Amino acid sequence: MSSITLEIKQITKQFHSDLVLNGLSFQLQKGEIMSVVGPSGSGKTTLLRVLAGLEKPTNGTIYMNGRDVTKQKANRRDISLVFQQPLLFPHMSVEENVAYGAKVSKKYTQEKVDTLLEAIGMTKYRSHFPSEISGGQQQRTALARAMATEPEVILFDEPFSSLDPSLRQGLRYWVRNFLVEQETTAIFVTHDMEEAMIMGDQIAVFQEGKFQQIGAAKVLHESPANMKVASFMGGHLILNDQEYVPLQAIELSSSPFKEDTQTFEGTVEHITYQHGRPIAHIEIKESGAKVPLPLTNDEQLQNEVFLSIPVSSIQRFRGTIDE
Amino acid sequence: MKLSRNSSLLLFIPALLFMSIPLYGLVTAVSQSLSDSGTWTFDYYRQLFQSERFMASLWFSLRTSLAATLLSIILGMAFTRFFHTLLEKMAPRLTVWIPMLFPHFVWGYMVILLLSETGVLSQLALLTGGIADTDEFPILTRDPYGIGIILTYVWKEVPLVILMLLPVYTSIRPEYYALVDTLGGTAWNRFFTVEVPHLLPVLIETILIVFSFTLSAYEVPAMLGTTFPEMISVLSYDWFYGSSWEDRPLAFASMVCVSFLLLVVSLLMYLYLNKARWRAMRGSRS
Repeated sequence: MSSITLEIKQITKQFHSDLVLNGLSFQLQKGEIMSVVGPSGSGKTTLLRVLAGLEKPTNGTIYMNGRDVTKQKANRRDISLVFQQPLLFPHMSVEENVAYGAKVSKKYTQEKVDTLLEAIGMTKYRSHFPSEISGGQQQRTALARAMATEPEVILFDEPFSSLDPSLRQGLRYWVRNFLVEQETTAIFVTHDMEEAMIMGDQIAVFQEGKFQQIGAAKVLHESPANMKVASFMGGHLILNDQEYVPLQAIELSSSPFKEDTQTFEGTVEHITYQHGRPIAHIEIKESGAKVPLPLTNDEQLQNEVFLSIPVSSIQRFRGTIDE
Repeated sequence: MKLSRNSSLLLFIPALLFMSIPLYGLVTAVSQSLSDSGTWTFDYYRQLFQSERFMASLWFSLRTSLAATLLSIILGMAFTRFFHTLLEKMAPRLTVWIPMLFPHFVWGYMVILLLSETGVLSQLALLTGGIADTDEFPILTRDPYGIGIILTYVWKEVPLVILMLLPVYTSIRPEYYALVDTLGGTAWNRFFTVEVPHLLPVLIETILIVFSFTLSAYEVPAMLGTTFPEMISVLSYDWFYGSSWEDRPLAFASMVCVSFLLLVVSLLMYLYLNKARWRAMRGSRS
């Protein structure tokens, strides 16, 4: 039976008249990784700061292993936070930075520091200062420093956002595997849906202070709860606040009339290439919505096209936030 | 490019000319202290270190300067640490910096007016019945412990310390504090891991400035000091402008000693700050 490591109930956080967190509730089992994805400025960092103890919630309760820690200070909580920037102490070597985490939390052993340095592939650079290593190495060291405190939960606040795309891609898989190997419970905040899908066992779409939907990537894609989730997932054409259609169900044609279809007139604005496939970026004249549609390589497109949507493929938003 | 290099050199000339004046003074002092009627000698230095008056003055000067420097640094740092958010606003910042507008001797007079046995505080204490006679008021100026000198310097240098440390405090990223908290650190960890490394270069620089000034400046100890022991600057002045020409080389020798001491201390501080750890703090690669 798996145990609940972290549980939050009806957490709210208000800054003056702004309700940044609006009655959030969820729980994480031991070793589970949850991605929280949402647009910039939606309050994701505030959620992490509340969980870490750096901000007090206006209302609600936080339990760790069944114990109420809501009023506990940050330095007394078994939660570590990896920030957007590595924030390594510049006057300390890589090894000293990792050891620092262990020392202040009174869990220092040289063996642990050596193991962590080995795990992050930094043994060779242990005596280097942060200014002498790359951004990716700095972020790995920051992770090892956080892990050195042996936290029950580790929080990530967009840790790869300052790295270049190629480095980011590699580090995502490395951190995910590292957390799984160490069986660490984690919350990973990002505004990038692809990153959220790679990092999390489940994904929480966070917008306007609430979780719009929590579930596995497949569930979010196949049955989004509402138009905000569908819009964030990006694989659908939203018809109205009740209905949507998956992009793969849309056909492009040069003639407007087909039986049992709903047809929209569109303009091809750009053709881009992703993962080896051409993508047509089309603006729908009626609504002004822009949709990216994958094309077959030999498809010849005119500037003005018709988007045919089989009526049978139109779906309704699910409405509930949990799986 | 050529023009820019030439104009840089031209702009450097005034600074060079300005520096040549104290440099000339130093070279002259060294040569005068080492020569007797045209022959090289260490006799004046021997006389100096055998002189009870000089040794007492040196000890008193070092003790007074060190006390004034450390108190200024501790108070200035504590004030900046706890009020730096307030000091980012113009009005409180200007209020704190007011003492810097006055020359040291003016500030010295103010201390005499306030703290002497017949000064404002003494009169207030007499009026309120705190003391029965002005004789009962503690001797805080022209005292053998240098209290008046130390008080004047502390009062005058604390704003300088704030001026030096304020930009450092405002540049420390608050995420570092949050980081130490989430790692399980205490307020001490915050101070020693986040603040001290950021402050250290400026702190050392400020210590050097305040210590050098308080050790060698003349007006304040001349106004607020005693005749024995006297600050080394006062003693050197006496030797330099005294009736006996024979004492002049002693004045030079004592000032050369002070300059040498400050030079050695500066060099040690520089070597310390040039260690790989502190170079890394400034972002340089070894």
